[in-house]
Amino acid sequence: MTSRRIIRTLPLAALAAASALVLAGCTPAAESPEASGDPVTGGTLVYASGDGEPSCLDPHVGGNYPQALIAGQFLESLVSLDDSGEVIPWLATEWTASDDGLTWDFTLRDDVSFTDGTPLNAEAVKVNVEHLKDPDTQSSTGYLALGKVDSVEVVSDTVARFHLSAPDSALLESLTQPWNAIESPAGIARGMEENCLAPIGTGPFIVDEWVPQDHVSLVRNDDYDTGPADRAHDGAAYLDGIEWRFIPDSASRYAALQAGEVDIIDNAQPDTLDQAAKSGTLVEIDAPRPGASNRIELNSGQAPFDDVRVREAFIRAADVNDGIDALFFGTAERSFSVLSSVEPLAYSDETLFATDLDEANALLDEAGWTERDADGIRSKDGVPLTVRFPVSTNQSIPAEQSLFEQIQATAKEAGFDVQLEPLDLSGWYGALFTHEYEAVSAPYTKVGPDVLRILYHSDSITPAPSGYFANLAQLDDPELDALLTEAASESDPDARAALYEQAQQIILGGFYALPLYDQQNHFLHSPKLQGVRAMPTVSTPTFADAWLAD
Amino acid sequence: MLWAVATLTFFAVHLVPGDPAQAILGGPGSQASQEALDQVRADYGLDRPLAVQYLAMLGRLASGDLGDSYALKTPVADLIAGQLLGTLTLALLALVVAWVLAIGLALWSTSAGRIGRAIAAGIELTAAALPHFWLATVLIAVFSTSLGWLPPVANDQPSGLVLPVLTLAVPLAGFLAQLMREQMLDALEQPFTTSALARGETAAGIRLRHALRHAALPAVNLSGWAIGYLISGAVVVETIFARPGLGRTLLRATELRDVPVVIGVVLVVALVYVAMTVLTDLVSRAIDPRIALEERA
Repeated sequence: MTSRRIIRTLPLAALAAASALVLAGCTPAAESPEASGDPVTGGTLVYASGDGEPSCLDPHVGGNYPQALIAGQFLESLVSLDDSGEVIPWLATEWTASDDGLTWDFTLRDDVSFTDGTPLNAEAVKVNVEHLKDPDTQSSTGYLALGKVDSVEVVSDTVARFHLSAPDSALLESLTQPWNAIESPAGIARGMEENCLAPIGTGPFIVDEWVPQDHVSLVRNDDYDTGPADRAHDGAAYLDGIEWRFIPDSASRYAALQAGEVDIIDNAQPDTLDQAAKSGTLVEIDAPRPGASNRIELNSGQAPFDDVRVREAFIRAADVNDGIDALFFGTAERSFSVLSSVEPLAYSDETLFATDLDEANALLDEAGWTERDADGIRSKDGVPLTVRFPVSTNQSIPAEQSLFEQIQATAKEAGFDVQLEPLDLSGWYGALFTHEYEAVSAPYTKVGPDVLRILYHSDSITPAPSGYFANLAQLDDPELDALLTEAASESDPDARAALYEQAQQIILGGFYALPLYDQQNHFLHSPKLQGVRAMPTVSTPTFADAWLAD
Repeated sequence: MLWAVATLTFFAVHLVPGDPAQAILGGPGSQASQEALDQVRADYGLDRPLAVQYLAMLGRLASGDLGDSYALKTPVADLIAGQLLGTLTLALLALVVAWVLAIGLALWSTSAGRIGRAIAAGIELTAAALPHFWLATVLIAVFSTSLGWLPPVANDQPSGLVLPVLTLAVPLAGFLAQLMREQMLDALEQPFTTSALARGETAAGIRLRHALRHAALPAVNLSGWAIGYLISGAVVVETIFARPGLGRTLLRATELRDVPVVIGVVLVVALVYVAMTVLTDLVSRAIDPRIALEERA
């Protein structure tokens, strides 16, 4: 919820104000680090990323979060979101949809050039959409977001008309994403290899050099004067540049921040956050990612979870809350929704997820899983109650992997044999392709509730052998399909919200997923770094207004 | 031998479940469409039978072409050339430091009494058993976080090399010192020691000029193996200290099933290993002329 996001930032603001007051009262000359006044121009920020180094800096290619993190510093989108989740102007100043929802006109700013001098115009938007839809680009995230866009027509230099195959209530939300950002057509024309090394945008920084496995150098775009409508200041960034480093090890990253070698780190882990909070010298940004929450999907496409009683039994038996408390040091809040709490349309129902071992046992007895072996594992007709749970060690942080172990232990009390299998990314995808799983946790970041259609519409169950499918719960319910399809084309906000609420009730009420918490996204930075904020779109930090205080 | 290495690696990578096409198209949070997956499979020839892919790879390698990386779309040779120096610098420095530490420890422990030897044996055993990741974490905690003397992550300055080199060198020094100490003690009991003493050689002189030569021989032979050990250790060390290099390249390529890069790196490491073995052979001859004599006889 947006209100929750505001509340999260309140204590910080209150702290800043309080410390400013205290300091002002005692030593009038002293300055509180949180309120040290005027921005300072100059200096190079050192960013340390724990995410995998992108193999291509152009977020049109592939399209994952590490790409979004860095692309947000040099690329911009047509529209953005403000803190309350409203769509606001960015490169496009206004937009109108036709009554049938099939034609959208975007009016562009007429005073913007890419950093290679190419003007931003309707033709550039057309080239970008075509680039995203071209199979040779190998786009996945941006491509999916433009699924209903057939073509872009150049109406005039500043008006780009999107022609859609069906009404798309998620179009604006999709266009806020860094994976759909607008790049220089001349840059795209250089070909994939060159464009991957240094994409050209309109953003506050320019890619100067990329030394693989070490860092990307970004320098200030002196002509920068765009930014989303809620940007804090006009004109070029204060920083001279950014050195974007890749430090995969969590402890090293934190040590580098403590030693002052870097100014900000991402992927701060629960133990690190706990240490940082105790030391009190660092500043945290908690910016949950939009889209889906982190949840365990139960594969309803095959036994035993094709039986709703067994799914409910698993959810009743798995003790999530104690695990989160013990392992996340209070840095993660339990979720009872399949959507992120930053999604305004997230629907939450805590009553469905109360832990109740007796109820779990009763449900399993009723479902016929009555035999138990010496270890207490249930079976039915000689088939043990096995839950294969492939765990992606790239995507699940150590605390989450430990949480899965606690879930494994508590589910065993009801007679489930949960088999956790830690796998690297390719192996994990492999287990999913071959349907060798009963439970799985997969993150999905996307702006807006349309992520529900991607995750739970039966179209997302692509038949084996070749395809990836996002519907890992293998949820196949015509009523839900109809709701999600209708919601995706409903232009009335209230009607759309109602449809998504009904859809979420079906998903939660059918026990297809066990929500854990928001997709965690914590940053720690030195108090020297000021004016940084996480974008309300996909929660990546922006340094367009940031400065390094002396 | 290189052929065997390439073959083994190729099939080992393919034995592990996983789909390179999926990995090529992104990672966490990026969900590839069917069209894109099919396209990638066709582009990279991943839809062909394994045997065909294997033969194609051999043909490529035979003509000296390491191919292009799946994930980075750049030639593997360029990729490795850019990373080789960093890893070799790290490994060779670690080897030198390990030798210095080992020689120092061996000279001291053989001159010390029974208690000294016991202490040395304890140090060697502990050092040799230290896992790299643990040692790295402790070194960072002590020398960066607590004392603030050295940077916790690699940088352009030589100071950034100290902790990574120590992490690799200390366990290896443990191995080498263990070996050398035993050999030196053996050598000191040989008749030539007595005759040297009779010639008026000092105890320290004997250790430096005679026993060390004996002791060094097996340790030199071990250095070929040590380079392999150090490069495999580089996978951990480069990751923890965020140093660019072959170890990190290999780790990342394995995760992505970037087969051409994995095979390329393994081949280059094998080449370095071969070169190092030849080198240690030559050094052994210099230290012990008997080797060449025996061959001539």
